[in-house]
Amino acid sequence: MDDSSRGLISTLGRAVLNFINYFGQLGILLGEGFESLVKTKPRLHLMMEQIVRIGFGSQVVVIVTGAFTGAVFTAQSYFKFRDFGIESTVGSIVSVSLFRELGPVLTGLMVAGRVGAAMAAEIGTMKVSEQIDALRAMGVHPVDYLAMPRFFAMTISMPLLIAEAVAFGLGASWFVAVLGFGIPSAWFWMHTIDHTNLEDLSYAMIKGLVFGMLIVVISCHQGLSTTNGAVGVGQSTTRAVVFSSLALLVTNFFLTLLLNYIFPMGTIT
Amino acid sequence: MPAPPSAEPAASPFIQIRGLHKSFDSQKVLQGIDLDISRGETLVLVGPSGEGKSVLLKHIIGLLQPDAGSIQFDGTSLCGLSERQLAPLRRRIGYLFQNAALFDSLTVAQNVAFPLIEAGIKNPAEIKSRVQEALEVVELDAHTEKMPINLSGGMRKRVGIARAIVGRPEIILYDEPTAGLDPIVTDVIDHLIKRLQKRYHVTSVVITHDIASVFKIADRIVMLKNGIVYFNGSPDQLRHSPDTFIQDFIAGRSGMTS
Repeated sequence: MDDSSRGLISTLGRAVLNFINYFGQLGILLGEGFESLVKTKPRLHLMMEQIVRIGFGSQVVVIVTGAFTGAVFTAQSYFKFRDFGIESTVGSIVSVSLFRELGPVLTGLMVAGRVGAAMAAEIGTMKVSEQIDALRAMGVHPVDYLAMPRFFAMTISMPLLIAEAVAFGLGASWFVAVLGFGIPSAWFWMHTIDHTNLEDLSYAMIKGLVFGMLIVVISCHQGLSTTNGAVGVGQSTTRAVVFSSLALLVTNFFLTLLLNYIFPMGTIT
Repeated sequence: MPAPPSAEPAASPFIQIRGLHKSFDSQKVLQGIDLDISRGETLVLVGPSGEGKSVLLKHIIGLLQPDAGSIQFDGTSLCGLSERQLAPLRRRIGYLFQNAALFDSLTVAQNVAFPLIEAGIKNPAEIKSRVQEALEVVELDAHTEKMPINLSGGMRKRVGIARAIVGRPEIILYDEPTAGLDPIVTDVIDHLIKRLQKRYHVTSVVITHDIASVFKIADRIVMLKNGIVYFNGSPDQLRHSPDTFIQDFIAGRSGMTS
C-alpha cells in the first residue's frame, strides 16, 4: 500500500471516528437532558424568558418567510396552472405544500439561523469566560440551567411559529391569487379547504416539534463544547447553523417518508 | 457569615490530595501532588505562572477530574463522581474565579443572590439582606443594580468574592483574589479572608502572586513548581528558606539586568 492510499484511509478513518464521536456526544447530552427531565423541576421563569426570545422574537422573520413563500409559490403555480385552465385550484397546492414542507422546513431553517446561532454564541461565550464552570462550582448543572429551558421553549415555540408561517403564507396566497390574479375568493377557499386536512396540520406540527428539538440539541451541544476563546465561539456559532440546517433537511426527508406511511397522501377525509 | 465550626475538629484532613496527576494533551501540569488541608486553616498557593495552581484548585471542587491520584473532600472521594453527585459537595465550597466569571445577563445583586436561590432559599427578604451584607463586605453595596459589563476589573472581582462568600461555605477557594485591585482594596480583601477564618472558622485556599498578601494571610504556604509541591511550610519557614529559587521568588528577582 502506498503512502497516498494510507493517507486516504487514515483521513477517512478519522472522519468516521469524528462522526461517531459527535453522535456519541449528542447522545450524552440527550441522556443528561433526560436525567434532568426526570430528576429536576423545570425552571419555569427561564423557560418563559426563552419562549419570549425564541418564539416571540422570531415572529417577524417567520411571518415574512411564510408570507413571501406563499406569495411566490402562488404566483408560480398560477402561471403554470393557467395553461391548463385550473388556476382557481392554486390555493390547494399552496396550502398542502405550506403545511407539509415549506412551512416547517423554511421556518426551521430561519429559526436555525436566528435562534440556533444565538444559542451557540451565548452558551459558547459563557463557556469560554468560565461562566459555565461558575454554574458547576455552585452545584448547578449546565444542562438543567441552560439547555432544558431552551429545549422546552423551542418545542413549544416551533409548532406555533410554523402555524404562524403557514397562516401568513395562506393569507399572502389569497392576496396574490384573489386580489392580484382575479381568482374568485370563494373558489380559492373551496379548493384550499377541500384539499387540506387534519393530516397536513399533523405533518406541520410533528415536523415543527422534531426540527425544534434538532436545532436546540445541536446548538446547545455546540455552545457547551466551545473552546479556544472568541475564535471558538465563532466556529461554534457557524457549526450550529450549518449542522442544524443540514440535520433538518436530511431528517425532513426521512420524516416525510415516515409520516406519509402514517398519514398516506390522498386519503381525503 | 459562614456556618459556625463544629465543636470537635475532624481527625482526618478536611481535604486530602494524593498522587494527583493531570495533563492537557502532551503538557504535564500536575505530576504527583500530595497535600493535606486542615479545617479552618488559610493555605496560600504560590509559584510561577503556569505551574498548575488554578488546575489544582479546580480539582478540589471537582471541575477537573485527575488523570491519576485521589482527592478526598471531608472524607468523600471526588474522583469519578457525576456532576449531580458533586453538586451537594460543591454547595459547601465558595469559589472565586480568576476573572470572577460573573453571569453577564444578571445584575450585581442577582449574581450574588444566585447561590442562595440555587440553595433553595425562597424568602426574598432573607436573600436581599444576605446579598446586601455580602456586598457591604466588599464595599459594593451601592452598585447592586449594575450589570457586570459596567464594572471595572477590580469591582468584578469583588462581586465574585461576594458571590463566593454569600452562601456561607465551609471552604473558600480564591483564585488570585487581589490581582488587579488597588492596595487599599487588597488590604480589605486580605482582612476579609482573615476575618472569615477567625470568626467563622472558614477554611481558605488562596492563590496569589502578591507576596505582601501571602505573609499577611497565610497560616501555611505551599509552592508548586514543575508540577509537584516544591515547598510546604509556615510563612516563617518560607521567609528563612535557604533555597535560592524561593528567595528569588519572594524578592521578585528574575536575574535579568537592564
